[in-house]
Amino acid sequence: MTDLEDQCGQVCTELHAAWAIAKKDIRIYYLKPNIIVSGMLFPLFMFLAFAVGRPADPTVMIPGLIAITILFSASSIEPVSIPIERRMKTFDRLLSAPISLHTVVLGESMSGFLYSLGIAFVPLIAGILLFQTQVIGIAPLVAGLLLTSFCFATMGTLFAAYPTESPGDIMSMLNLVRLPLIFVSGIFIPLDQIPQIGHFITYLSPLTYGNDLIHAAFAGDPHFNPIVDIVMLLFFILVFQLVANHLYKKFNE
Amino acid sequence: MYAIEALSLSKRFGNIQALSGVDFAVNEGETFGFLGPNGAGKTTTIRILTGISAPTEGTARIFGRDIVRDTIAARRQMGIVHETSNIYTDLSAWQNLMFTAELYNVSRKDREKRGSDLLELFGLSERRDDKTNGFSKGMKRRLTLAMGLINHPRLLFLDEPTSGLDVQSNLIIRDVIRELNKTGVTVFLTTHNIEEANLACDRVAIINRGHIAATDSPERLKHTIRSVQSIEVAFEPVSLVRVDDLEQIPRVSEVRKQGDKFRLITEDPPGVLDGVMEYAKDHHIRVISVKTLGPSLEDVFIRLTGLDIRTKGVKTVD
Ligand SMILES: Nc1ncnc2c1ncn2[C@@H]1O[C@H](COP(=O)(O)OP(=O)(O)OP(=O)(O)O)[C@@H](O)[C@H]1O
Ligand SMILES: [Mg+2]
Repeated sequence: MTDLEDQCGQVCTELHAAWAIAKKDIRIYYLKPNIIVSGMLFPLFMFLAFAVGRPADPTVMIPGLIAITILFSASSIEPVSIPIERRMKTFDRLLSAPISLHTVVLGESMSGFLYSLGIAFVPLIAGILLFQTQVIGIAPLVAGLLLTSFCFATMGTLFAAYPTESPGDIMSMLNLVRLPLIFVSGIFIPLDQIPQIGHFITYLSPLTYGNDLIHAAFAGDPHFNPIVDIVMLLFFILVFQLVANHLYKKFNE
Repeated sequence: MYAIEALSLSKRFGNIQALSGVDFAVNEGETFGFLGPNGAGKTTTIRILTGISAPTEGTARIFGRDIVRDTIAARRQMGIVHETSNIYTDLSAWQNLMFTAELYNVSRKDREKRGSDLLELFGLSERRDDKTNGFSKGMKRRLTLAMGLINHPRLLFLDEPTSGLDVQSNLIIRDVIRELNKTGVTVFLTTHNIEEANLACDRVAIINRGHIAATDSPERLKHTIRSVQSIEVAFEPVSLVRVDDLEQIPRVSEVRKQGDKFRLITEDPPGVLDGVMEYAKDHHIRVISVKTLGPSLEDVFIRLTGLDIRTKGVKTVD
């Protein structure tokens, strides 16, 4: 028994291990070229492709840009790092460590989470400095940034469960989901303008709630009650975590 | 209590039956060798025993703890050296060690001390802060071993620890295994090298095509290994040589004609060599080449399982 275990038992041990995994990913992957491309440049170009030429109201566009940036950056670390680690067999280290599989999933997600939090500051600051957008609600902003980042980081880890050694395999599956999400989540088309029939899909997208929260922080007119957004994001995080855990277990048999 | 108990472990991958009813037990403090050719199921066994993959059937216990149900507690006791040197090549040797220590919940003070000691032990202190992608194969292997020991394991799994390494790396690793053993650490080691099994292990199990071919009788196994050494002799003129005559040479257990050479199986190659020379002189035949061969895994299998149709004229010494 080590000091740590005496103090707070297995939960602390697991959290400490999750943080160690996150630190490892930060050291190794944050500066990898393909991560920079898919996590930083890709969202920017995506956004420009859709936003340019529209009569842009910064209070709508900046939250949208932040949400898209988070979607892409949070979910782009693990789909690259985990296949590489499978190929290098270092992933076996995590799978054979005296920690729960949930901790492995959590630790992996944490690096994507922190990465996208950092990246999200770029459009946030740019909006404030260049477009004079104003943050009128700090609480929804903080909750929106944290929960949306965590949600999509966990989604990235979930997709990375697919047992391949090639990041490209996972990226293409992931884009099959990420790209449509942009269009059904009220970023370019406000939710109240989406026809009733489209709402069903809209409600199934975690990005809807993330975008709504961040939007609330700038414009103050959310579509949902912020509590609903928060609960829904927490719900998606939980589902992604559980499904990811299940898939890692299953594919490892 | 056993360090490892494997109870009729089976593993299927689709159509491939990788393990079938594997049973064995490893005593605490023992160095146990798991010897088998490529594809025998050695790595599959280690992956099950370390809880990375689940057996299709059967159970395994590590110090009495079920590896499937009580995975985390079982793993706390073990260190694992995987088949490939799976280090993080973007991190330094030190960072690799510290990361592993954190996964195993080794306290900061302990891991720093232990980390320095292990780097020293494995001759890597000078390269401590270098990124490991520049490391040689042997250095990577040694670092992998150090990482397997960072948590002071009671049980160490080594999957082909010395395969493909030079003599010096080999010696370091073998020394470490011996030292560990003295301090009471149980070692489970896989290899396809019969010499290594013979040198490093207290007991050996032989696995072939997912079945245990022999285990639990170290003396018999060692004896078998000894008994299947051989010398290969070429005579001139070969037409005068009769297999029956060669079989009469003392301590020859079996003779095989292989091309124009003769292979004499024995546990005493030097003794038989004298006999061969004498025989040649008596029959006015010249010995034109002699080669001493160590025991081959194949020969040991044949001895233990009797699974061979190739041999003729078997004469047992025991
Ligand atoms: N993940 C897997 N999927 C399918 N088949 C597998 C898998 N892992 C192992 N096998 C098969 O199981 C058998 C045993 O493989 P294993 O790796 O355990 O052999 P080994 O004794 O470690 O061999 P080597 O000396 O080459 O390392 C082989 O036939 C192998 O093809
Ligand atoms: Mg193997």
